[in-house]
Amino acid sequence: MKKVLVLGATLLSASILSTAALAADKEVTVWSWFIQSTMQKSIDAFQKAHPGIKVTYTYYNYSPEYITALKAAAASDSLPDVIGLQPGSLTQQYRDHLSPVNELAAKEWGADWAEKVFPVNRKQMLMGNPAGDTNYYIIPQESQVLCVWYNRKIFETLGIAVPKTYDELKAAAKKLSDEGYLPLFQGAADGWQNENIFLMLAGQFAPGLTDKAQAGEAPWTSPELVSAMKAWKALFDDGIFQKGALGAHAYPTGAQLFAQGKVGMMALGSWWMQESKFPPPLSQYVQNMDGFDFFYLPAVPGAKTASPPVGGVDIGYGLTKNGAKNPEAWTFLASLTNGEALQEALNDLNDLPAFAGHEPKGDVSDHVKDLYKRFMDDLPKAENQRFAIPAISEALDNALAAVAAGSVDPEAALNNVQAATDKALGK
Amino acid sequence: MSAISGRAPELVSKRHRRFAGPWTYLFLLPAVALFVVFIAYPIVWVLGESFFSLDRGGANNFVGLDTYLSVLADPVFWVVVRNMFVWGLITIPVQMIIGGTIAYFIERHTDAWRGFFRTMFFLPVVTSVSVISLVWVQIYAPYYGIAQEYLKLFGIEMASSPIGDPSTAIYALIVVNIWQWTGFSMLMYVAGIANLPTEVLDAARVDGARGLRLAWSVIIPMLSPVTKSLLLLGIIGTLQTFPVVQLMTGGGPNHASEVFGTYVFRTSFVLGDTGRGATISVIVLLLALILSIIQIVYLGANLSPSGRREERA
Repeated sequence: MKKVLVLGATLLSASILSTAALAADKEVTVWSWFIQSTMQKSIDAFQKAHPGIKVTYTYYNYSPEYITALKAAAASDSLPDVIGLQPGSLTQQYRDHLSPVNELAAKEWGADWAEKVFPVNRKQMLMGNPAGDTNYYIIPQESQVLCVWYNRKIFETLGIAVPKTYDELKAAAKKLSDEGYLPLFQGAADGWQNENIFLMLAGQFAPGLTDKAQAGEAPWTSPELVSAMKAWKALFDDGIFQKGALGAHAYPTGAQLFAQGKVGMMALGSWWMQESKFPPPLSQYVQNMDGFDFFYLPAVPGAKTASPPVGGVDIGYGLTKNGAKNPEAWTFLASLTNGEALQEALNDLNDLPAFAGHEPKGDVSDHVKDLYKRFMDDLPKAENQRFAIPAISEALDNALAAVAAGSVDPEAALNNVQAATDKALGK
Repeated sequence: MSAISGRAPELVSKRHRRFAGPWTYLFLLPAVALFVVFIAYPIVWVLGESFFSLDRGGANNFVGLDTYLSVLADPVFWVVVRNMFVWGLITIPVQMIIGGTIAYFIERHTDAWRGFFRTMFFLPVVTSVSVISLVWVQIYAPYYGIAQEYLKLFGIEMASSPIGDPSTAIYALIVVNIWQWTGFSMLMYVAGIANLPTEVLDAARVDGARGLRLAWSVIIPMLSPVTKSLLLLGIIGTLQTFPVVQLMTGGGPNHASEVFGTYVFRTSFVLGDTGRGATISVIVLLLALILSIIQIVYLGANLSPSGRREERA
């Protein structure tokens, strides 16, 4: 009995002491779809630099888990301190639950802090704000540039040069198909993949026109956008995309096949570099990105130039109104987007920084450094890839799917997008 | 008579003890609380939301029945209704027929392998929908897909993916759904067949009923409570369809495979239009209510054989 009492007293004391130790930590709660292993490295770096602050991260798959969890938490006023966001529609959905960060950012990084954010990101940070609202509700962490990746080892084996014209792209796709490879893998069951290609094509005919169209300042039925829509259909008809692309998903199917060396090309973005930092075993192509390089979509018939770089914010974070009451929440947000926590994400090659002046450190091969540098050179001149209103991007997704399936012609499809835009803008 | 009279006070006394006082109603509290918190409150909340709409400035305005009229005038809504109708019309009877046939052969024509076959046919029911979706996307993939590998043996080359073609997407998903859920119908029929009274079957055999005649005239009518249960569950399951569609097509291409689940999810969570999503949910709820009433009227509330006996007694 005495032994039991002693044991009980010891356990009680230990529990009180540990509770007291934990109570000394101030906690920051974070939700996002950001890859858990990389986020943990960021959190470790932050906690090392800020002893006494404990960050609790909850990872969700983006859809449906994350957006469902956000909706439920917002409705019950139980959002965490910091939430992962995409600029435009997702940020706008939660604007009422977010705290503007202008003053905190100016205090942290100086009055000209926004100038250090790449222009396309800066534009996206304000996307969808009501007229006159210059508040920033999202701080971008990482940027991305869209491109067409290709397997350079397969290209070399088959004697294919990097396509510089549409005919060369067609010939490359044919050669790949003839040799048993998938040509340009398009996960056309995913709206985002289709939007990305369309924005690349639209940029060939009239850079910036899609931004005007989504703002109601130019019609979606402009001849340039109709041409881009026709070019989109031709990518299916000319055998550049793989057969059955409309039923395929980019992740995990396409990405796995691409990493395994069964696909010649795939339209992704700068984030593809992170594959080389995933836990082994890695394929010979993914190891140090040895098998991969990228190019921009060559000019399609009738277009003036190859696709310009298109991109913007990959992921950003917002400070919720709950988080605004917790000073440590901003400290973490600042570190995650422009401090030691960001550096860890960049070291994992998760993507490009959103603020100028950062680069990955550590074990990075010369080839990856070269890829990274080329992306960073292009990022400042990137065209916008985001939509402010989800109803417009959904209408475009549906139009692209319908045109690809051959059930609607390009003009009629873009008319539908125009109708959705007019409705969303209250015209 | 005297015996009956003698038992009466005892029955009264028992009834009296059973409803000893108002405090006994406290025992209802857990069930009522669960119902109110998890069923009644969400329904009332959704109903309330359906009368409001967010404007571009973020204000929630009362719009009455405007959203209902807007949803009913939306062609996408009627595409979804058509898809749901096709879904129920095909999946429910096909699952019953295949499941019932499998159950009949397993129960009547297997012995040592009975457990093995039951388990194998039931396996898809307990397999994760995510896994099923990934596998079926690969099966349907033309050129490099699993089905294509077999079709190649016959010189057939798939030109497109069935889930990528708007005219076939919903049917391709129905095939997956049937594949997954037929095992459940089989299990229900297995239970039904196992409980059939042997004296009736023996009597039918003595009268000369064999094979198809025995199945058609004796077994199928005697399994009608199972069939009715499957019909009820099938209709509920149809209205609840979501994960397989969300994971395989997301309701696309261009809404071709949209079902109520994906339509509500897309509207509420992707487009952020809670009011419209709530309106669609209320319409689905009303539809489910109407279908339930029709079923109760035509099929009866008691679907188990034992329930019917109690009713008659």
